[in-house]
Amino acid sequence: MSSMSFLSEQERLVLALRELYQGHGCVRFPMRRFEEYALYLENKSFLTSERVLSFTDGNGKLMALKPDVTLSIVKHASRGREGVEKLYYIESVYRASPTDHEFKEIEQIGVEYLGNVDRYATCEVLWLALESLRLCLREYVLDISHMGMIDGLMDDCRLDDETRRDVFRLISQKNVHELRNLLAAKHVAQDAAERFTSLLTLSGTTEEMLEKAAQLAVGEKSRKAVQELSQLYGDLKALGLQNRIRLDFSIASDLEYYNGIVFRGYVAGAPRAVLSGGRYDRLMAKMGKDADGFGFALYLDELNSLFMLPRREEVDVIARYSPEDDMAKVLAGVKDLRDFGLRVLAACGEAPDVFAYRHYQFNGERFVEVE
Amino acid sequence: MLNVALPKGRLGDKVYNLFKQIGYDCRAMEDGDRKLVLRDPDGEVSYLLVKPSDVAIYVEHGAADIGVVGKDVLLEGGNDVYELLDLGFGKCRMAEAAPVDFQENRQRPLRVATKYPRIAKKYYNSICREIEVIKLNGSIELAPILGLSDVIVDIVETGTTLKQNGLDVRREILPISARFIANKASMKFKEAQIRDIQEKLAAAIMEKAGEAK
Repeated sequence: MSSMSFLSEQERLVLALRELYQGHGCVRFPMRRFEEYALYLENKSFLTSERVLSFTDGNGKLMALKPDVTLSIVKHASRGREGVEKLYYIESVYRASPTDHEFKEIEQIGVEYLGNVDRYATCEVLWLALESLRLCLREYVLDISHMGMIDGLMDDCRLDDETRRDVFRLISQKNVHELRNLLAAKHVAQDAAERFTSLLTLSGTTEEMLEKAAQLAVGEKSRKAVQELSQLYGDLKALGLQNRIRLDFSIASDLEYYNGIVFRGYVAGAPRAVLSGGRYDRLMAKMGKDADGFGFALYLDELNSLFMLPRREEVDVIARYSPEDDMAKVLAGVKDLRDFGLRVLAACGEAPDVFAYRHYQFNGERFVEVE
Repeated sequence: MLNVALPKGRLGDKVYNLFKQIGYDCRAMEDGDRKLVLRDPDGEVSYLLVKPSDVAIYVEHGAADIGVVGKDVLLEGGNDVYELLDLGFGKCRMAEAAPVDFQENRQRPLRVATKYPRIAKKYYNSICREIEVIKLNGSIELAPILGLSDVIVDIVETGTTLKQNGLDVRREILPISARFIANKASMKFKEAQIRDIQEKLAAAIMEKAGEAK
């Protein structure tokens, strides 16, 4: 049992992640599969898709199968700013696929820190995110940004809400050419516009990029953002993780919910981000909680295509009997084999398509090995 | 090794020539092969020739690391990719066209025939005009002639086809050109190579623009 060799790669990953999170004192958050629909209606833009699987419960109340876990965890948070609550979850969420609009059940595993998320707790979440990626056993990288940077630059340009949304979209596409046109069309001062485009084309080592970003920062929000990023980089360096993180200001998480550090994790071979997280104090405030929130989720479905094929199905022994045999004796025979610790597949007649090291046949009295 | 998705046809040929010019040639491409995957044993890139409207899908799902695609396809598909460069060719306009003598009845929804329902909806939404979309897959110009729709939203290059069918551009919606796109995860693991191509492409386009002047 100790080798766990009978588990699939995904099952082993989930166990390793649970061990990791519990090793840092995270407690598993128990959850129901459904919530009141109103929760999602009020926070529609927090969800990746607006469509939610809904149904009516016995009292006529509209319920929904969870499309998201973070909202449920935040809703149940109660501690306020006293210390920090460290939680993790492994849950199914139900979302409509953006391509064919069919609902899918997606397994998600994640970590949420609620309460007073201080400098240590911030680093610990990033540390857990990096370790989670490492446990996927492939080349990986974590992109980090800070929402305050973009927020500050947008304030500086005095953009209206609609333009902010467009700017946001173009930033997430690293679309420098259209961003330049848009800002010019909105009569944004050239130096302010230049700051945006420079931010998206930063290159070099993370230290160099942080230095350049510091020069681009204007206003309180942006300056604070670069400061926090530099501090975080220094702290992660102490853990020897600096080579795994990269600064990328194109990460665009909704400013309505996210305010601080945000990050995305990539694993070689998966075409999209497999991990996504950030600081969501604004979501906490929106839901009436006086506390910080910081966490991430790992999308197991994005990793699916990477997992190695399950090894062939195998047992130690296939034990064949026929319908006319004395079942009491057959059962006793199988029990004998099991008592040796053998994996036994008992089959009536034709053996199923499973590899077996040995084949046994019931001879009326007991099982005997056949060639 | 980078996988490059190119649209089959004229635009694809043009893009390949540009890639060749910046040093990413592929002998198999020039053999006039009708294969869809063209790989050079010692080349740094392999080319996939796919339907123009599928380029962004290949890139989004990581089957290709980078690709070149028209902005019209990109907007209609809404694909989650990085759009790194406007290549400045394959230029045309997305426009609303109607019969020359068309009189709009503002009391009822405008019936719009188009291959691009998403772009059309977004545009009319932005000018607060209610519409009824009729999605067609080709010969859009026929729709208003036969009374299937009031207007059409389509790509206009020279306007000749419109004229031949008695249609006129009423409003321009947006300019279209070819864009250089990249898969988001590929950008993390093959950034140096993708950036190299991006910079060389940008330089080649600048040079061409200079010559034209």
